[in-house]
Amino acid sequence: MIPWTEKYRPKRVSEVVGNKEAIESFLAWAKQWSAGKPSKKAALLYGPAGVGKTSLVLAYANENGLDVVEVNASDFRTAEKVEQIVGLASQQATITGLRKRIILVDEVDGLAGKEDVGGVSALSKVITNTRVPIVLVANNPWDQRLAGLREKAQLIEFKRIHKATIVSHLKKICTAEGLKCSDEVLKEIADRSNGDLRSAINDLQAIAATGAVSRETLNALGYRLRDREIFSALAAAFNAKSIRDGRLALEGLNMDLQSFYQWVFDNAPEQIPDIDALAEALERLARADMHLQRTARLQRWGLMKYVTPLITTGMAAARHKAPTKFAKFSFPSKIRFMSNTRNEREMRERIAAKIAARCHLSTSKAWREILPFISFIFSHNGAKARGIAKFFDFDKSEVSYLASGLKSSKK
Amino acid sequence: MAVEERLVGELPWIEKYRPKTLDEMVDQEEVVRALKNILQTRQVPHMLFAGPPGTGKTASAHAFARELYGPNYLTEGLFVEINASDERGIQTIREKVKMYARSVPFGPIGFRILLLDESDQLTDDAQHAFRRTMEQFSATCRFILVANYSNRIIEPIQSRCAVLRFRPLPRDKVIEHLGKIAKNEGLNISSAALEAIYDFSEGDMRKSINILQAAVSISRDVDEKTVYQVIGYVSRGEVRRLLELGLSGKISEARDLLRELLYLQGVAPSDLLTAIYREIGQLDISEEDKVEILDALGEADFRIAEGGTPEIQILALVSKLAKKMRKTR
Repeated sequence: MIPWTEKYRPKRVSEVVGNKEAIESFLAWAKQWSAGKPSKKAALLYGPAGVGKTSLVLAYANENGLDVVEVNASDFRTAEKVEQIVGLASQQATITGLRKRIILVDEVDGLAGKEDVGGVSALSKVITNTRVPIVLVANNPWDQRLAGLREKAQLIEFKRIHKATIVSHLKKICTAEGLKCSDEVLKEIADRSNGDLRSAINDLQAIAATGAVSRETLNALGYRLRDREIFSALAAAFNAKSIRDGRLALEGLNMDLQSFYQWVFDNAPEQIPDIDALAEALERLARADMHLQRTARLQRWGLMKYVTPLITTGMAAARHKAPTKFAKFSFPSKIRFMSNTRNEREMRERIAAKIAARCHLSTSKAWREILPFISFIFSHNGAKARGIAKFFDFDKSEVSYLASGLKSSKK
Repeated sequence: MAVEERLVGELPWIEKYRPKTLDEMVDQEEVVRALKNILQTRQVPHMLFAGPPGTGKTASAHAFARELYGPNYLTEGLFVEINASDERGIQTIREKVKMYARSVPFGPIGFRILLLDESDQLTDDAQHAFRRTMEQFSATCRFILVANYSNRIIEPIQSRCAVLRFRPLPRDKVIEHLGKIAKNEGLNISSAALEAIYDFSEGDMRKSINILQAAVSISRDVDEKTVYQVIGYVSRGEVRRLLELGLSGKISEARDLLRELLYLQGVAPSDLLTAIYREIGQLDISEEDKVEILDALGEADFRIAEGGTPEIQILALVSKLAKKMRKTR
């Protein structure tokens, strides 16, 4: 299976998503090169992961018939290696004179950490002498040891991609793949990607592979990928001693507050064995729930800031009033419950809707008030059930579910 | 209906025995008298039918419409039923109203009747929007709003409606009616069984008839035992079990049961709170602690009404109970 990040990589510069300013500065720099007089021989594209730095270079090369010599800075063990790989490529172009080329050096910031600092100055020298454009790519170009490179390069900053832009791009992929996916799910993916289009596309592909593009698979998957991250955040939350601790617990956690809340809430009973302490902790979580729900209902995002202290420090303070014992953190049982009961809930809803249509009731009333009686009849008297099934137009699966006596709820 | 029964064999009795005329209504003499007056004058106001479940609100609206328009009141589109809790928001309700109320219907009566069931499920904002809709279409349409609690209907709507109050059906009326059904169906039912049905259904005729029909699926001789078998099936004493789990400090098990009640059985949070309210009196804790728990219950009720998550608020409440219980021991 081709990764969608490759399959849908832009072929032309105009297809590159977001970062319009950066793209224009890059094109201006490249134009200087094709005119033969670049003010800087290299360009340093920098910014967070997955925002299109490499894609822009590849799209540009493709559109202009350039060969791309792609090297990764982490391959540069020594200064000689730099010479060998980049140096050679930077000269050869004019010798062969066939196709023009462009050199792409990825993960330049990796060079700074290396002990053989010779790599940076060797690369710097290559840039001075190059006859072909060199593009350097880095996440963080501000390391002191990269100062020499920064001077020789045109700095072009890339920013995180806007959520709305990610959503609309994901939509295009869905259409191309013939994939049904609700806006809600796409928004959620975009939310979690934190402006990283590549990870958003990867998430979408992973979810599509499970066959059911729903919020629940999204949750299950997202959490699985980030389990380790979330477990350390949980540990920090349950041990937070100050408001600052609580805030730090969530820092860098790639999860929305509502989801993190569910993790805390579902782990609280196991983490807090003392009932007095638990009652106090749950009360604080219940207060936090009010802040969260009000935030969403009133669209007043300012209210959100009251949630974190309650679900970390406040909850943990209650916990520390009694001796604690070690318990493992686990995946939220709510999400497991909802996905385990999903078929059954859908079945009940279908049946309830059919009852509602004939008994002058809402679906929810039919669900709780009529369905249990109907099920009683179906599980005790097949002959009577047949007539009623015809009246409500129940299909076979609905009849056998009703006749099974609402099994799962009897356990 | 009898024709339909011959075709399919067995009907849900709540439909089979739904009153067709105002005279067939059980109890509710005052409401029936008011509706008959309106029928005589043909001056139909907007109306609000308020009262507990299973007391004949929707049925009397249908009976009224049938007597006003004749037997084809539904097929001719003269009477339309919309359920507020099934619709996605006030906008779709208004669209539906527009669709039906746009034109003056044929026939001697120059308006349609639109029944808005479970109208107390609408938020205040939605009700205000609906009030404008009522005014906009009052020339071609009369509205009957049905609600369990009239105080959940905003004042401006109430003041535009004739409010008809339905009372919980008294014990003798329910038992008498169940007796008639039993006779018609050729059943033997003990008086203890009838009493047991009433004790559980508390004046809700829909629930009463459902229990009876379910009991008959076991045996045509219905006694107390068969009734309890049905009641045990449909209501497995889960609220008590929820509290027991909570009281013994098994909070994560209480949480699992709570989820099953809310998400699988579709129990309404408000019904759950009412059931907990009833159980509190019987707990083995001091009166002062009971007062505190009731206070916490009121707080949970309020928070849920404010948009709090029922599962979270109720579990927090249950854990407070557990705390009180431990103090007592």
